[in-house]
Amino acid sequence: MSLTARLAALRVNPMLKLALRSLRGRPSRTLLTLLGIVLGVAVILAISITNLSTVRSIQDLFAEASGNAQLMVVSAANDEQGFAESIATRVRSVAGVEHVAPVVQEHTSLADVAVGSDRTASWTGLAASGLLLYGIDPEADRAVRDYVITAGEYLGGSIDAHKIVLVQDWAEDNDIEVGEDIALWSDSGVQQVLVVGLMSKSGAGKLNNGAFGIMPLGAVQDIFGRSGDIDSIDIVVSANQRNTTGIEQIKDAVQERLGEDYAVIYPSTQGDKVTRMLDSYQMGLSFFSGMALFVGVFMIYNAFSMTVVERTRELGMLRAVGMTKAQVRQQILIEAILLGCAGVALGVLLGVALSTGLIGFMEGLVSQDVTRVRIPIGGLIKAVGVGLAATLVAAMVPAVQAGRVSPLEALRARASAQEPWFIERGWPLGVGLIIVALFLMFGFPSAESMLLQSLNSLALTLAFGGATLLVPAVTAALDRYVRLPVTRVYGNEGRIGSSNVQRSRLRAALTVASLVVGISMIIAIGALTTSFKRDVGEWIGSYIGGDLYAYGSLPLRTDLSARIEAIDGVEAATPVRYASVTWVRPTADKETIQFRAMDPASYRRVTEFNLVDARLDPAELADELAQGDVVFVSTIMAEKYGLQVGDSLTLQTRRGLRDFRIAAVVVDYMEQGLTVQGSWKDMRRYLGIHDAEFFLIKTAQGADVAAVQQRITDQFGERDHLTVQSNQVIKEEATAITSQTFAMFDVLAVISMVVAALGVVNTLTMSVFERTRELGMLRSIGMTQRQIRRMVLSEAALIGLVGGIMGLAVGLILARLFTLGASNSQGYEVKFYLPWVPVLTSVFISLGISQVAAMLPARRAAKLRIISAIQFE
Amino acid sequence: MAILEAVALAKEYQLGEHTVHALRGVDLAVQEGEFLAIMGPSGSGKSTLLHLLGGLDKPTSGDVVLAGESLAVLGDDETTLARRHKVGFVFQFFNLLPTLTAQENVALPLFIDGQSESDYAERVRAILDRVGLAGRYDHKPDQLSGGEQQRVSIARAFVTGPAIVLADEPTGNLDSTTGRSIMELLRRSCDETGQTIIMVTHDSRAAAYADRIVFLRDGHIVGTTSWNDGMDLNARFRVVVAQMEELEL
Repeated sequence: MSLTARLAALRVNPMLKLALRSLRGRPSRTLLTLLGIVLGVAVILAISITNLSTVRSIQDLFAEASGNAQLMVVSAANDEQGFAESIATRVRSVAGVEHVAPVVQEHTSLADVAVGSDRTASWTGLAASGLLLYGIDPEADRAVRDYVITAGEYLGGSIDAHKIVLVQDWAEDNDIEVGEDIALWSDSGVQQVLVVGLMSKSGAGKLNNGAFGIMPLGAVQDIFGRSGDIDSIDIVVSANQRNTTGIEQIKDAVQERLGEDYAVIYPSTQGDKVTRMLDSYQMGLSFFSGMALFVGVFMIYNAFSMTVVERTRELGMLRAVGMTKAQVRQQILIEAILLGCAGVALGVLLGVALSTGLIGFMEGLVSQDVTRVRIPIGGLIKAVGVGLAATLVAAMVPAVQAGRVSPLEALRARASAQEPWFIERGWPLGVGLIIVALFLMFGFPSAESMLLQSLNSLALTLAFGGATLLVPAVTAALDRYVRLPVTRVYGNEGRIGSSNVQRSRLRAALTVASLVVGISMIIAIGALTTSFKRDVGEWIGSYIGGDLYAYGSLPLRTDLSARIEAIDGVEAATPVRYASVTWVRPTADKETIQFRAMDPASYRRVTEFNLVDARLDPAELADELAQGDVVFVSTIMAEKYGLQVGDSLTLQTRRGLRDFRIAAVVVDYMEQGLTVQGSWKDMRRYLGIHDAEFFLIKTAQGADVAAVQQRITDQFGERDHLTVQSNQVIKEEATAITSQTFAMFDVLAVISMVVAALGVVNTLTMSVFERTRELGMLRSIGMTQRQIRRMVLSEAALIGLVGGIMGLAVGLILARLFTLGASNSQGYEVKFYLPWVPVLTSVFISLGISQVAAMLPARRAAKLRIISAIQFE
Repeated sequence: MAILEAVALAKEYQLGEHTVHALRGVDLAVQEGEFLAIMGPSGSGKSTLLHLLGGLDKPTSGDVVLAGESLAVLGDDETTLARRHKVGFVFQFFNLLPTLTAQENVALPLFIDGQSESDYAERVRAILDRVGLAGRYDHKPDQLSGGEQQRVSIARAFVTGPAIVLADEPTGNLDSTTGRSIMELLRRSCDETGQTIIMVTHDSRAAAYADRIVFLRDGHIVGTTSWNDGMDLNARFRVVVAQMEELEL
């Protein structure tokens, strides 16, 4: 060891020792600070892990489902009708294409499983009901996808053989074994299929969350009446072309060969639609990272400045015995680094744990297992870096303060710390920061979503920073009014206690600010949840209508409605069908939208059109619709694309491009609201679809809805594979899904409130500590323990009230911004509803938290030994 | 008649592994209207005695009878009320609330007692006038000199009309001129209103203002001094000094 290194070690070691001692000597303070760092880091990391894992899992799912294929051909019209099998031959002839694997997809279900039990509602609709079937060419497919056969054998023999390979997990769930015949529903009735093998739930086996099976192409075409049709072609390019440019060239070549009716895509982009839907959700989570960090920095700052105040004498003594200013600063910073490292390490662990919980929420959200939890390197670096940096920055100011402690102060009674400049003059900067934040939030509407997320997090942090700078001014302004109720409750003790808030305005400001963050998040989340729930409610109202909703897992004949109407207690029934259709916009851009077919006459007997313009005559509109070439557009389409009644809309149909006149604007949120509504006549002649998806049923006046539901089920359930549900139940289910969707945010809101509460504990403990002598004096001149407790509680109450009121204001603004943000990313207006419950309770929550958090410090203050307190310096 | 009586008062406390005997059985009676000073070197137990007399701490054995009420048997709240109504405290470091004005600080014990401001406002101002702070009612502690702050603190001790006022080194944090004026104020209060005062001090000059001095060493009373009314302050001071030398204090 060199001499300088030895000297350096000598100099650092005692510092390290002192720092460790000081951390150990104040375990509760150390714990509180540690908790701030841990929570901040954990939330940032957990959100980052959750977001990445979910998106990747979805991308992986589609990529793995396509196996080794680099490219994929699908129908450009996207009309669920597929295309001719012979296209595969054309693709094969393109130079550079090594293998092609045609696939036909069908949804079915086991014929002997209780009706309806397999249908799960889902936010994104990723999980379809029943079993997803891939009809494949067993030989060609081997080159594309690896099926890991776990029992029995892979498909072999004739291309028309009625054989199936199922995913093992699903087969086990349904008690199916190799060698068994299973009965599947199909267009031509129940079909017996032999289970020849089972595969593992990996690769394509993960599709439809494992409810997946493969059959020979010919068999599927045969059973489902799709002779000669396929839905997609997977392409494996030749080995020497497997690079970005090579694949790109082949993609172009295939596209050119096939023409505009086909789209050549990269397999993983199939998952994009789903991940896009998660965008705004993830953005919300990113907001939270920013916030968690913000509150974390508070706590750390608070704790360190407390350390300095508490140790003024000790620091003065160290200075007196010869420690330099720099050494004192270093001392505090070493403590910060030690705490920072420990906090970050624990935070990473907690973050991973927390992410498994959040991923659970996400799985529910996308109805797909998120199998591979990925810890994003970027996210990890961000969490660790931010945790350490925040700790250092937060400790910096107290460290400098500590350095300024003069040796004399060791001998003197404690002097109050100087207030930083921004307590008096910070508010203009605060206003400025908020303006910048607003600009960041709304100034870049067309920015890429990743960039937008970062911008939003930054904007939120700035906005909260700005709000914090406003806290002292707002507190001063509110003080007079807020003190009134506090003194009303706490009497004279309240008057003394509440005036204490003015004594350390910086600390009060930081505490108020952390409450503001927590409360405003609760309100913003409440607003978003309320708004979404209302939207979902409205959507369901327009989607179903009537009293009962009957659907099948197989296409239903539209004339079934007449037979349903014949049942006792049914007043009317009407068939509805949604189908994808390509809309050719005036700019020649193509957009896939949903076409909803209705039978105007029977529809109006069940329910009314959800017209936006109440002046329009529904009877007249029904007539127009029945005549054909007329559509209603959804409010979302109308808002997003500026469509109006009287405009026309061009759809790509089986009979070429057709113009439809827009007769009305209606509420319809199906497929994110990209829907038009038309007649069955148009559905049949232009889209070639004859089968209904569901029936809306209205019961007769006074009829027992449940009894009617039972009668319909009895009559058609088994035979037509029909499931009947009451609208009430569906609405409740949808509301439950929405609640589940937002439960993750609720968890985070609770975390932020816990952090805010810790802030209050910290502030009051510090406040009590600093005023020990004063408390001793008050006790000696006759204040009872109860009065002391009430005094401390009243101080907390004032902080809680101001925090609640400001949180309410900030929260409402935030809620408005969140709904606007959601509107931007969803492409339609999420209506803003005032979340009454959080609004009404926020001030009380804030007050309640402040009181609970104040109990310990209050007790501590009341239990002080009077004579030690008055001698305390 | 004795307004305050200490009977076989003893106090022990633990300091690490050692038991410290701060007071080893002190008997003391203070008459109504008397100005008593307690003197003794550091560690003699004089502050402990003062704290016990004022009900700030509980004795290990013995009792304090304040205006006919035995403090030893009282619970914390009752002791607190006894302090509130019967004891006034004057501290070395004044101990004023920085957020309150002079008159608010003086009114603090009444305020804590829940009395209404209209009832006591005049009394508070009268007391401030008496301690020489007329016209400084609305000054906050940081706008007042050390002597003025101690006057506020004395006014606060007097405002409830307590049975006794306990002063712990009231001049300890003041220069000699200011200290003298504070002592004159205490003496005058005792003479004019008959207020009983017990003062702990190191300062022989301050002690000379008292009617009687008790000397403490190692937790015992080791001597008492009092004098005839005719004696002037300097003569009293010399008596105190002589007595301390004799007692080897």
